[in-house]
Amino acid sequence: MAEETIAGKVSLVLIDQKILKHLAKLARIDLTPQEEEKLLKDLEEILEYVRELRAVDTTGVPPMNGGMDLRNVFRLDQERRGTNQGQGMDAFPEGHDGYLQVPAVFE
Amino acid sequence: MIKDLTITKFRDGLRRKEFSALEITRAYLQEIERRNPELNAYLTVDSEGALRQAEEVDAALARGEELPPLAGVPVAIKDIILIKGLRATGASKILEHYTASYDAGCVKKLRAQQAVLLGKTNCDEFAMGSSGENSAYGPTKNPRDLTRVPGGSSSGSAAAVAADMALGSLGTDTGSSVRLPASFCGVVGLRTTYGSVSRSGVMAMTSSLDQVGPFAKNVEDAALLFRAIAGRDPLDATSNPQEYGEDLVRPDWEKIKKLTVGLPKEYFIDGIEPEVRKVVTEVVETYRRAGIKIKDISLPHTKDALATYYIIVPAEISANLARYDGIRYGRTQINADKTQIGADGQRKSALLDLYFQDRANFGAEPKRRIMLGTFVLSSGYYDAYYAKAQRVRTLIRRDFEEAFKQVDAILTPVSPHLPFKLGEKVNDPLAMYLEDIFMIAVNLAGLPGLSVPARVPPGHLPVGFQLISPHFREADILGLGRLHEMTTANQ
Repeated sequence: MAEETIAGKVSLVLIDQKILKHLAKLARIDLTPQEEEKLLKDLEEILEYVRELRAVDTTGVPPMNGGMDLRNVFRLDQERRGTNQGQGMDAFPEGHDGYLQVPAVFE
Repeated sequence: MIKDLTITKFRDGLRRKEFSALEITRAYLQEIERRNPELNAYLTVDSEGALRQAEEVDAALARGEELPPLAGVPVAIKDIILIKGLRATGASKILEHYTASYDAGCVKKLRAQQAVLLGKTNCDEFAMGSSGENSAYGPTKNPRDLTRVPGGSSSGSAAAVAADMALGSLGTDTGSSVRLPASFCGVVGLRTTYGSVSRSGVMAMTSSLDQVGPFAKNVEDAALLFRAIAGRDPLDATSNPQEYGEDLVRPDWEKIKKLTVGLPKEYFIDGIEPEVRKVVTEVVETYRRAGIKIKDISLPHTKDALATYYIIVPAEISANLARYDGIRYGRTQINADKTQIGADGQRKSALLDLYFQDRANFGAEPKRRIMLGTFVLSSGYYDAYYAKAQRVRTLIRRDFEEAFKQVDAILTPVSPHLPFKLGEKVNDPLAMYLEDIFMIAVNLAGLPGLSVPARVPPGHLPVGFQLISPHFREADILGLGRLHEMTTANQ
C-alpha cells in the first residue's frame, strides 16, 4: 500500500532546476548551463518513460536483488597475500612516504 | 592469409607448420596499422607484448610442448577490462592516465592459454551506449559500411574481428553490448550467463548485469573463447562454480536436433524493419527444415523490460562511478589552486574542488546516468523507482522460467533495425535506449544470449538473430548456432 502512495506522489514530481542542482551537488558533478538545460529535458523524457512501470502489478512479488540468486559465499579464514600489493599506488597522483596525499578536507 | 582464418584453422596450421604464431601476429598487427586510422577500433596496441607472446608460443612448439587450445591466438580486449601494465581508459577522459596494476580474471585465463593479447579496443564510455559513439576518443566505424555505427558498447571488439584486426575478442554485455555490435558488424557474439565469467578487473557499470563475453568469426570459435574464460574466480564472489561439459565446443548433435525453439510473440512486433523481419523469418524456416520444432510462446512482461533496465542501470552506475574521484586512478588535468564556488553559492573545500573538477571529465552519457541514478535512489523515491524495478525484474525472470518449461531455447531478432548512420541517434538518448529492446530482458534474467549473423544477400547490411537459453545452457544455443551455420553454408 505504502508503495502505491509513494508512486502516486512521485508522478507529480518533475525534475526542476533546483532538484537538478541538488542532485548534481550530491553526485559531485558541476554542470554548465547548457548541460543543465539538456539534462532537464532528457531526464524528464526518460523518467516519463520509466514511470510506465507503475502500471505493473507487483503485489506480493519479491524484489530481485543481484544478478541471479543471492547466496552466501564462504572462504577459509586464511591469510591471503594479494598478488599486486602496493601496486595500485602507482596510480596515485600524489604520495608521501607510501601514503596517498590528498588536498585539505577542511579549510 | 588471415581473411579466412578461424581459431580451429589457426591451430591446425600452426601444428602443421604452415605458418608460425609470430607470422600470424605480425599479419594482424600490420592489418591494425593499415585499418585502425580509419576504423578507430583500438585505443591501445601492444605490439611488443603481442610479438613476445607469439615468440614464446613458437619456442614452446619447437620444444615439442603440448599447447593449450588458444596458444598464439591473437585476441583484442575491450578497454574496460584490465591488462596489467597497459593503459585502461574505459574510453573515458577521466581515466586518460590510468595504467592497470593487475590482470582481469578473464585476461589471466587467456594468458594461461598463451593467447596473444593485441591491445585494448574502443567502446562507449564505461560501456554506456549502443552505438560506440559515446567514446571520449572518437567513434568506431562499422567495417561493413563506414558511414554507419558498429553498434555498442563493445564497438571496437566487434569491429576488430569483422575487419580481421583480431581473430577473436572480448567485450562485456550489460544490456546488449556484445550482441548488438556482433549483429551490426556481422560476427558472432555471446552474452554469457551471469556469474559464468569473472568480473574481477572489469570496470563496474551495473554490477548485477555486467558480464564478459566473446566475439568471433564463427560459433565454434566463440565457444572456444568462452570455455577458456569461464569458471569460478575467488576474486569475484558472484562468479559461479558451474562446470561446462565437452558439448560446449563439441555439440551433441542428436540432442541439438531434438530441441524445441520458441518464438515470443512480443518480439515480432510492428516496429521491426521489413528487411530484419524477412531475414529472421528465413532463419526460422531454416531451423524448421533442419528438423527443429518451432513453437509460439509469450513473454508477457517484455514491454516492461526497458523501463526496468533504465532504473536499475543508472542506480547502480551512480554508485559504481562514485569511485572516480581524481585520486585513486590517476588524474586528468585540473587546476588544484582554483577554489570554486559551488552551485549553491557555498565555498567548497580543496578536496571537494578536486572531486568536482575531476568528475567534470565524465562524458554526457555517464553524467546523464549518474544524475538519473542519484535521483531514483534519493530519499523518498527509492521505493517508487528502484524497489519497484527490482520487483518487475522478478516478473521478467519468471516469464523466462515459464517459457523454458515449454521450449529449450528462444529465437528473436537482435535489433529491430539495420545498423544506423553515425550521428543519427546520438542526441536522442531515449531512441538510443530503444535499440536494446530485444536484448535487455535477457540480462535482467541473468540468461545467456547468442548473436549469430544470418545469411543476407551480397552487399546487404548484416542482420543478426538471437538465441536465448536457460542459465548455463550455452551449449544448446551454441549448438543451434552451429546448426544454422552448417545448413546455410552451401546456399
